[in-house]
Amino acid sequence: MTPRASRFPHLLAVICRRLIWFMVVLLVGGLVGAVLVRVAPGFGTDERMLDARLSNASIQAIARERSGGADIGWYYVDYLGRLLRGDLGTSVSLGRPVRELLGERMGTSVRSAGLGLALAWTLALAVIGLLELCRNPAGETLASVIVEVLLCIPVALLAVGCFYLGGAPALAVAAILFPRIFRYGRALARQTGAAPHVLAAHASGESPWRILGFHVMLPIFPELAALAGVTVNMAVGAIIPVEALCDSPGVGALVWQAALARDLPVLVNVTLLVTAVTLASNFAADVARNARWDAI
Amino acid sequence: MRTAATIFLISVFATALFADYTAPYPFAAQFRELPNAAASGSHLLGTDALGRDRLSRLLYGARLSMLLAPAAALGSVLLALGFALLAAMGGPWCERLILAAADLFLSLPLFFLLLAARALLPLHTTAETAAIVMFGLLAGLGWAGPARVMVGAAKQFSRSDFVLFAKTCGHGRIRIALVHIMPNILPVAKAQFLIATPSYLLAEASLGLLGLGIPEPVPSWGSLLRELESVSAITANPWILTPALCLFLVVAGFHMAVSADKTAV
Repeated sequence: MTPRASRFPHLLAVICRRLIWFMVVLLVGGLVGAVLVRVAPGFGTDERMLDARLSNASIQAIARERSGGADIGWYYVDYLGRLLRGDLGTSVSLGRPVRELLGERMGTSVRSAGLGLALAWTLALAVIGLLELCRNPAGETLASVIVEVLLCIPVALLAVGCFYLGGAPALAVAAILFPRIFRYGRALARQTGAAPHVLAAHASGESPWRILGFHVMLPIFPELAALAGVTVNMAVGAIIPVEALCDSPGVGALVWQAALARDLPVLVNVTLLVTAVTLASNFAADVARNARWDAI
Repeated sequence: MRTAATIFLISVFATALFADYTAPYPFAAQFRELPNAAASGSHLLGTDALGRDRLSRLLYGARLSMLLAPAAALGSVLLALGFALLAAMGGPWCERLILAAADLFLSLPLFFLLLAARALLPLHTTAETAAIVMFGLLAGLGWAGPARVMVGAAKQFSRSDFVLFAKTCGHGRIRIALVHIMPNILPVAKAQFLIATPSYLLAEASLGLLGLGIPEPVPSWGSLLRELESVSAITANPWILTPALCLFLVVAGFHMAVSADKTAV
């Protein structure tokens, strides 16, 4: 048996272990989300119950309607059964199937997050490359100051600022992600740029572009790929305040509305969805970091 | 830089702590004849839409944010420290279990959980309860990040020569964890505390801006940022940017302290 063939069962075992872990975390994540919502002191209350014009019977009917998920264990088991049949339940606040709501809004969120990620990465890599080529202390200081300033501003405030400047939600996502990508990427590039083989390449008169491409960026590619996985998580986290404040009709805005309306079916489904995206990107980040399947 | 940042943070903390003496008016006192007043001698940052003095609200808001964010960070770090010591004492299975739990918590979207839990507080919840619940949630949900770092550090020290020597001397696991491992991972815990505090301040600010922060009338820096939702208000009264500026300076102060701490290490 060749070494490659002997590695295959090990690789299969690793993938199976990862998938089992993925499913366990997904199930527990959904349960934690549902329990958190259920045990919150305001569960089962509805703003309509404070309406003095409603009769006692109407208020009791609303209370009955809102206590549908009171038994969390039963609710979750029933939910999982329906999930397997593709039924995600019906939103309490919007009165529409959650699947429909997610389907309508997913495109907007994916577009915003995807464009934001692409913009942030392009800008970060361009600035890192430029700084590495120029090696100008003033440029380095300026970039560091801009990044530190962006990191000290709450993400929601960055979203509001981008909205005022007429920027799309993608711009806000990019403004949130750029400093985090740049800081990590720049540290890696600086560390690699000072390595002996890079100094030797400089001394032997190789072109700066070639050194940047082959001796600096290529060796840090696995770390950058891992960072790409992590930035997907960051984009998912950022999309909630961005869409809520920029009035963009995506999943983030849906989550915000659901949170305000105490909409358990929407919250549990989105928790599962976001956890799945997070786990998948973490998995991709792990794979990229290790760069070799047998090392996972 | 570290000294300057520390002095700045201590002075902000002291000003906020003694807001009863440093603020010109109580945070809920209304000047009904002066709603949305411009900055003046009697109201240095003007008044809000309800005629309340902005400077007083800023100082009282600082007290809430500057007391509860570090308290939540301390809670997270203490939880993480406890888990790290447990992992060091309990052996490989215990360590795996704790790391799996940390992975699980890291896989859950913290801001989303916080948003959901905060929104589900009863409509009549008092501002104080909401504040405690919110920062309590931050402490309870934010332990995983510090725990991963501290479990790694505890594991490293549990394999060191001095721990091996302590074991051969017959010291119990608890004694080894508390006397030999804990003092060595305290610097890591301190760095994690300095990292967690500004991130909790920023999380509270983001929640406040989304309208899910500390409810009225109690001010926090997050809830004071809600005024920034109107661009016309900012152009007319630029001083309403002061809470954002204060938050920025405090977070920058923490970042400076952390980077200086890293350099020192």
